[in-house]
Amino acid sequence: MKIGSMFTNVFGSLFKRPVTQLYPFVEQTPPTYFRGKVLSDMSKCTGCMMCVKDCPAFALEIFTIDKAARRFVMLYHVDRCTFCEQCVISCHFNVLSMSNHDWELASTQKEAFAVYYGKDADIASLMERAAHPAVGEPEKS
Amino acid sequence: MNEINPIIALLFFPAGAFVMAGGLAYEWVDRKLIARFQNRIGPRWFQPLADWIKLLAKEEVIPAGVNAGLFIGLPVVALAAALTAALYVPMAGLAPAYSYRGDLIVTLYLLSMMTLCTGLAGANTIDRFSLMGATRALTQMFSYEAPFLLSLLGPAILAGSWQIDKIAAYAQAHTWMLLIQPIGFVIALIGLMGKLELPPFDAPEAETEIVSGAMTEYSGRGYALFRLGRDVELVIGLTLIAAFYLGGLANPLDFLIKTLALLLILALLQSLFARLRIDQTVGLWWRFGALLGLAQILILIVLKAFGIL
Amino acid sequence: METNVKPQKFIVPIGPQHPALKEPGHFEFSVDGEIVTGASVRLGYVHRGIEKGVEGESWTQDLYLLERICGICSHIHATTYAMGVEKLAGVSASPRAQAIRVIFGELERIHSHLLWLGVAAHEAGFDTLFMYSWRDRETVMDLLEALSGNRVNYSVNLLGGVKFDIDPAQADTVRRGLDYLEERTQYYLKVVTTDETFVGRTKGVGNMTREQAELWGTVGPTARASNLYRDVRVEAPYGGYVDFPVQIVLEEGNDLLARFVVRIKELFESYRLIRTILDHFPTGDLVVKVPKRIPEGETISRTEAPRGELFYFLKSNGTDKPERIKVRTPSLCNFGSVINSAVGHNLADMPMILAGIDPCFSCNDRMVTIRRTGQAAQTVAWDEFRKIGSGTLDE
Repeated sequence: MKIGSMFTNVFGSLFKRPVTQLYPFVEQTPPTYFRGKVLSDMSKCTGCMMCVKDCPAFALEIFTIDKAARRFVMLYHVDRCTFCEQCVISCHFNVLSMSNHDWELASTQKEAFAVYYGKDADIASLMERAAHPAVGEPEKS
Repeated sequence: MNEINPIIALLFFPAGAFVMAGGLAYEWVDRKLIARFQNRIGPRWFQPLADWIKLLAKEEVIPAGVNAGLFIGLPVVALAAALTAALYVPMAGLAPAYSYRGDLIVTLYLLSMMTLCTGLAGANTIDRFSLMGATRALTQMFSYEAPFLLSLLGPAILAGSWQIDKIAAYAQAHTWMLLIQPIGFVIALIGLMGKLELPPFDAPEAETEIVSGAMTEYSGRGYALFRLGRDVELVIGLTLIAAFYLGGLANPLDFLIKTLALLLILALLQSLFARLRIDQTVGLWWRFGALLGLAQILILIVLKAFGIL
Repeated sequence: METNVKPQKFIVPIGPQHPALKEPGHFEFSVDGEIVTGASVRLGYVHRGIEKGVEGESWTQDLYLLERICGICSHIHATTYAMGVEKLAGVSASPRAQAIRVIFGELERIHSHLLWLGVAAHEAGFDTLFMYSWRDRETVMDLLEALSGNRVNYSVNLLGGVKFDIDPAQADTVRRGLDYLEERTQYYLKVVTTDETFVGRTKGVGNMTREQAELWGTVGPTARASNLYRDVRVEAPYGGYVDFPVQIVLEEGNDLLARFVVRIKELFESYRLIRTILDHFPTGDLVVKVPKRIPEGETISRTEAPRGELFYFLKSNGTDKPERIKVRTPSLCNFGSVINSAVGHNLADMPMILAGIDPCFSCNDRMVTIRRTGQAAQTVAWDEFRKIGSGTLDE
């Protein structure tokens, strides 16, 4: 039976640096396969809606601008996303990927949480057609 | 005895503002040391002050079913007793503000007032956690008080006086009592941990069992005063033990070095052990503490009778 | 609120708000001085309606909802569910996918046991052990982050396999991390079994003989500390455990100290297993195709979570949404042992006994049907139910 069995560790710590990471004063780099924000390359999107159907948090919406010319706009709700990567797997066309450095996504403005992906012209026309019903909105039960 | 104006002695030095600021500073050193022992960073220097100001600014909620006068008055009495005790100890290495025969006993009683007030505060409410905390606090007081008194009695016997001033002068003039009566030193230091309810003797305030013990119902001003009282007692206790066992306090620098060294040992002891149950605490103190304390006193009396000391 | 009338029967409530509990649950201990004379428990504060929620989403989406039943044992929930769905669909994941599932399951067990060690030490007032064991837990959290991309809720599973692979560089990182952890775990085993104050708080506390453990239906390390041979990985191997078997860790102490020792020894077993799998990594596809509409049928799926046996019942009606999923988590089985073994101990031992079963309140809040004999079942409409709950029924 020992009294003070952690003595060597405890006393030795007085001479070592604390193990606390001084975030946010010191930058923390995430590992290579980190799952951060979802990034989307809409030029490859075919509008199959698999990602929208499989997302468990209903964080993705796809609006069709022109189906024949393959012009779609994706609306990504960052505040609903759980960063599970299911959308990346569900997509067969390599449209989606997850960033491994964009993870400080907190914001005080609600607008920062609605991210649009697609051609600028398409996004602008979507904004103008605010009354146009969005195609491919997921069914909510 | 110091030639200080009584008002200054009460309000600024050695009681009052000086010892309160010293209490906050020592609390910071204690918390920082414990954090470093646990490989963490620890709080910044103004944390205890910030805590105290925040607590003073909070609303004080008086729960139903308590005696409101006692509820508000007990923290004030506890802090007042602790501050009064500061008048009799050699604070910062200078002579005590007031000194007379038997002031060692008066100081020890004043230091025990804190535990009595905690016990009463806990018994005052109808909250179960406070009641259990009060019971444990008083039980613990009955167990460590006797050995702690005996350990402070040892130097008094050697110095042949009950006056703190004279005992400190004796300690300064002779070899360190730490070397002559090491058992007494150990009991004094651990007794101080019991008095201040520092881990491993923090069963009266066990956070994971009885929320906060006797202080569960306190928030705001009352809690701030209780905590400050505890910090003041830490300073006074360290001063007493350093003055008696570490060869007296010659000047402020000497005071600082010796009390901080004792605080380092206290912080180390706080980090090394799990919390003792109240029955284990009582068993430990009455079996080892009291017997060792008595043995130490007997050794001293015998050695003094034979003229060796 | 009750007032203290008789000194004999004094009820101390622990919870639902209490520093000893990390999650809400209500325990009432009748004490006499400091000795506990009786105990009762009330759960249900964290009921989130997950079993109802899964019925409205597709099988793929449910994978992520069920993963979030618990933060500490999230992977094992997803694995059990995925195994059950694969059984219904008549496919089986490839050996490589199953091995990866086992690696993550064992890494999760490591992180869960280290977390528990810290929390139990904190309940005993030993904050130093708490800080050090959580510091070392950061190693396994960093490993999980490097392998999967997330520290909690790793989302490794897919229906039919896993999402990603472990390449040799990552395997080396894992091995280095495990070496460091093994050295630290040896140290913690020494501290837990030889430290005088800590052993004083854990030896002889929460005694539960083998017969009592069996009677009260305990599972997991709590049962294994009373020499009860219960471990799903050994009794009914599933997935990767068929090819890479596990040795069961049994202790005969019957008390809280034995539970500590069992969990720490299980850590060594996990380190050994992960190293074995990394050295003999089987080949295969990562994921096998599972249809969107799962064929009709019902099945059960059992695995060994860090806390004990996890049990899933899945029922499919042929569509792309499940008909019924019933989850029974291990913590639910162990509460009976707490209130039964608590009698006769000090009140100061209560948080320790509770921490000894590794309670996870969020896991185990489910709907329970109680049918009393002679009483017909009642059906209440949703609107009326809301009114009953908010107390406005008679308005």
